[in-house]
Amino acid sequence: MSEQLTLSRAIGAGLRRALADDDRVLLMGEDIGDLGGVFRVTDGLKAEFGGERVMDTPLAESAILGTAIGLAYKGFRPVVEIQFDGFIFPAFDQIVAQLGKLRYRTGGAVSMPITIRVPFGGGIGSVEHHSESPEAYFAHTPGLRVVTCSTPQDAYSMIRQAISSDDPVLFFEPKRRYWAKGEVDLEAEPEPLGSARVVVPGTDVTLVTYGPLVATALDAAAAAVEDGVSVEVIDLRSLAPVDFETVEASVRKTGRLVITHEASQSGGLGAEIAASITDRCFYHLEAAPQRVTGFDVPYPPAKLEEHYLPDLDRILDAVDRVLGRENSLTGWSAK
Amino acid sequence: MRTEAALDSHHDDADMNEWPDPQEELVQILTPEGQRLEQPMYDRWISDLDADALVALLEDLTVVRRIDVEATALQRQGELGLWPPLLGQEASQIGSARALRKDDFVFTSYRENAVAYCRGVQLGDLVKVWRGTAFSGWNPFEVGMSTPQVIIGAQTLHATGYAMGCKKDGVDSVAVAYFGDGATSQGDVNEAMIFAASFTAPVIFFCQNNHWAISEPVGLQAVRPIADRAPGFGIPSMRVDGNDVLAVMAATRIALDRARSGGGPTFIEAVTYRMGPHTTSDDPSKYEDRASHEEWAAKDPILRLEQYLEGAGILTDEVRTAVKAKADDVAREFRAECIGMASPEPMTVFDNVFAEPHSALERQKQQYAAYLSYVEGSTR
Amino acid sequence: MTRDFMLPDLGEGLTESELVAWHVAVGELVELNQPIAEVETAKAIVQLPSPFAGVISELYVEPGTTVTVGSRLVAFDLDGPVDDVAESVADVEAKPARNAVLVGYGPPVEGGARPRRKRASTPPPAGVAPAGPPPEQVSLETPRSTPPVRKLAADLGVDLALVSGTGDGGTITRADVLAATSTVTESSTSVSAGPVASAVRSAPETVAAAAPSRPAKSGERETRTPVKGVRKATAEAMVRSAFTAPHATEFLTIDVTASSELLAQLRESRAFAGQRITMLSLVAKALLVAVERTPSVNTRWDDAAAEIVQYNYVNLGIAVATPRGLMVPNIRDADGLSLVDLAAGLTNLAETARAGETSPEALTGGTISITNIGVFGIDAGTPILNPGEAAILAMGAVRRTPWEYKGDIALRDVMTLSLSFDHRLVDGEQGSRFLADIGAILTSPGMTLTMV
Repeated sequence: MSEQLTLSRAIGAGLRRALADDDRVLLMGEDIGDLGGVFRVTDGLKAEFGGERVMDTPLAESAILGTAIGLAYKGFRPVVEIQFDGFIFPAFDQIVAQLGKLRYRTGGAVSMPITIRVPFGGGIGSVEHHSESPEAYFAHTPGLRVVTCSTPQDAYSMIRQAISSDDPVLFFEPKRRYWAKGEVDLEAEPEPLGSARVVVPGTDVTLVTYGPLVATALDAAAAAVEDGVSVEVIDLRSLAPVDFETVEASVRKTGRLVITHEASQSGGLGAEIAASITDRCFYHLEAAPQRVTGFDVPYPPAKLEEHYLPDLDRILDAVDRVLGRENSLTGWSAK
Repeated sequence: MRTEAALDSHHDDADMNEWPDPQEELVQILTPEGQRLEQPMYDRWISDLDADALVALLEDLTVVRRIDVEATALQRQGELGLWPPLLGQEASQIGSARALRKDDFVFTSYRENAVAYCRGVQLGDLVKVWRGTAFSGWNPFEVGMSTPQVIIGAQTLHATGYAMGCKKDGVDSVAVAYFGDGATSQGDVNEAMIFAASFTAPVIFFCQNNHWAISEPVGLQAVRPIADRAPGFGIPSMRVDGNDVLAVMAATRIALDRARSGGGPTFIEAVTYRMGPHTTSDDPSKYEDRASHEEWAAKDPILRLEQYLEGAGILTDEVRTAVKAKADDVAREFRAECIGMASPEPMTVFDNVFAEPHSALERQKQQYAAYLSYVEGSTR
Repeated sequence: MTRDFMLPDLGEGLTESELVAWHVAVGELVELNQPIAEVETAKAIVQLPSPFAGVISELYVEPGTTVTVGSRLVAFDLDGPVDDVAESVADVEAKPARNAVLVGYGPPVEGGARPRRKRASTPPPAGVAPAGPPPEQVSLETPRSTPPVRKLAADLGVDLALVSGTGDGGTITRADVLAATSTVTESSTSVSAGPVASAVRSAPETVAAAAPSRPAKSGERETRTPVKGVRKATAEAMVRSAFTAPHATEFLTIDVTASSELLAQLRESRAFAGQRITMLSLVAKALLVAVERTPSVNTRWDDAAAEIVQYNYVNLGIAVATPRGLMVPNIRDADGLSLVDLAAGLTNLAETARAGETSPEALTGGTISITNIGVFGIDAGTPILNPGEAAILAMGAVRRTPWEYKGDIALRDVMTLSLSFDHRLVDGEQGSRFLADIGAILTSPGMTLTMV
């Protein structure tokens, strides 16, 4: 049974399914009940499942996470919404020092099957703190799983998988793709939550990305055809753990790797992937892996964000670089 | 009972008629000299305590102090890495913990080893954290108590959430959060009170004001009595003499009753004193006024109960001997468990991070295992 | 039974404490937990409670002494009523892996010993790469190689997909790439492959390669060839050598008729049946004999260590021209070879180089070299040292020349030897003696008997 849904509606459909299938599932967050969420992702859920299961909370991110932990102790399966990426930091201690560590701390006695939904990423012309990409902080934290979707089908399937997982999961939702439409098969058998997907196959260059830039990567791959270049696009989907086997198989085939993400360069996921793939595929690499990312600046004002976000042209410039073709840095050296 | 009404000296709230009237003074039943005061409001909550029960309380206080002393010695002997003494706070912990039911759930800081003792934590399990063998000595669900929390105040949110869960499940279990005076400055503690009030959560905020947060005096954390805060959040509160085991028990029972009957949260400030250092690595001589120390020594919780029981003809030589023997037994067992504890196997460093398989961790684990077998003589 | 008590880490990584005072004396009976000493740490003054019940048998430390964590403080005599404490400690100490009393949290106390690895590493195998995928899977993957070798292949125009790798897991090595470039024409009939003129100064380009390529289009005013690959490496080596070692060159022209006659004789002899032997062989042998008498020509200047390295063996390099450029493969431990084996080695070296199969190992580690410019009809030159070596001998063409012979003028086989040496390592007298020795042997082979 398939329908056309936007990515945000697909998440909502997944949440509805989860609430219906397991009465221990709870939703918690600011404005998620009567308002249905600032992006309307949870629209209609309070009406359907009641205020005890779809809870509007006071404005306190740390408390939302902390009480979710207490509820998990009591055997519930909370799904917490952080309204915007930039507001996750008050909850950082509860997420990193508590959520990620509780299973380890208690020798496996305590499970924290909590899902944290976070709209993330830029490209929406917003004011400060509404376009962040904080995934690396959490991918770096032991005990947490981090995933992100790029299509409505994945949004639907992956939110259900995240909720079913007995591990804490950060579910990053690419907010600029909330209105993108796609086919969603509500009964589809999904791939494992931790798996990456080869979205379009190719032979010359492996282009790895996730979340909001998957669509950009696909555009880049299509444009590259005109240059006679065959780009293989991989949607990581899972950022912790990363499905290195899929990426490795691809790079062994192409010998060239470009990684792109909105988050700033230093210490980002791209660095982890570049290092791991260099380790695994050193003897197959034709060129050094390239990262196309945001700069090491705070996310800029709306009028400047096009000079921060990776786009089709910057991606293809890096593709040229790994192919040994002329590119923006040909002959460039640091001063 | 402190409520917003109390601060306005207004006693007309109909709902409050069931509860004892607000008092500005510390709730106290036993004076430091061991004299029992008449407190009709509170006496009825502990009227069931007969001679045996009182002796049992004395034994509890004596045993946990003995454990504390033994643990401190073990640290000085190199058997424990660290120990946070609860010396002086025995009555706060015993009086409250002994009021709880098995199905209640406790979320503590790191100093509540007397509470752990009451909840049924094995002596050897108590020691694991401080010896460095594990972060947690016990399964929280077996004893109804979380593992020690090192992040100050974080546990208050967990307790509040748990209490919200009890309410959703329609059970009358209560969650208790133990924390200190320093913790009340943390955002999490204040956020917890907001959530507890907004959701009428059956949670007790039990604050042991032991006057010190390492070297910072309570006056830095609060310019007025800590118990005054909770009414600002809409939570009734009590300020009790934390060295008076009877007063503590009475106050806790009041709070439990309120919670179990749908009345929501209560804040209890148990005023006591940290007679030992913050931990065995601390040196209070650098910041503590000796006079305060002496003043509080005179308010010792065990001494006053002994004096009361002696005056009541309950504390006979026989009882004394039995109590001491029990304490010595426990100390001996505690020491033996500690010294005999084996270190964990190296590869267990990878256990219990995730519920489901994790490819990156699996790879690291395999590579480390290969490394260990490659490096000769590396087994510990 | 005596039991020691060591100073424990008293909290959070403290590494030492000062013993302020003892509260007990030797011979005193103490109870468990009884305060026995006062120590001062960086943080506080701390009472130490006795870990045992027993009699103090020895106090190891004087008050006022600073004690490191883990050092002995006091000994207890535990004979007499043994309580559970002593037993459990004893049990613990029986376990081999544990240090019973020091449960140290925080940094380990530095023992002052040199840091040791738990296990010495074994040198890596000669191959380059770790295990690759099983051969069946290779077809879907790019060829295995390393970035530098890939670059070499790109420079040399070698398609790695067509090369089979001899490294671990099928990794393509530098040698594999070089082998794949061999398109050498077999035109040369001289015994040794024509060496490159080792002088940079004015050797014509045509000497450098067997068959220089012609511009594709005639009429072009100039042709550009990118500097890369072997030529680039060679040029870099030349420059390194020329501008590091102070070169001095000496010349000696000699009558080698006796050597020519010896060659003829050797070729007839059974010992050399089937084995080619040339003047180069004799020159090489003469050089090896002379090295024994003037070892300073067989040294290396180690700038980094500020040392002169004296080789106690000779890896004899022979300059060889290949289609890819100049190479100087060497014969290992040539000083131990008989003339027959030396001749065989030279033949083998030349053939291997011509086939483009010289291994990377053969191109390194040489200690002294010979360059044969005589095959080009040249008499003498000022050869440039192979980098890292102290001397290089150029042998010129053998010519019939009027020469003094037994008081008269006669046509004799005459050859000029040119010796360049590193003046930091070899002085004039040494260089001269060395050259003179070689000349003496070639002039009169029997003179060898006076030198060995």
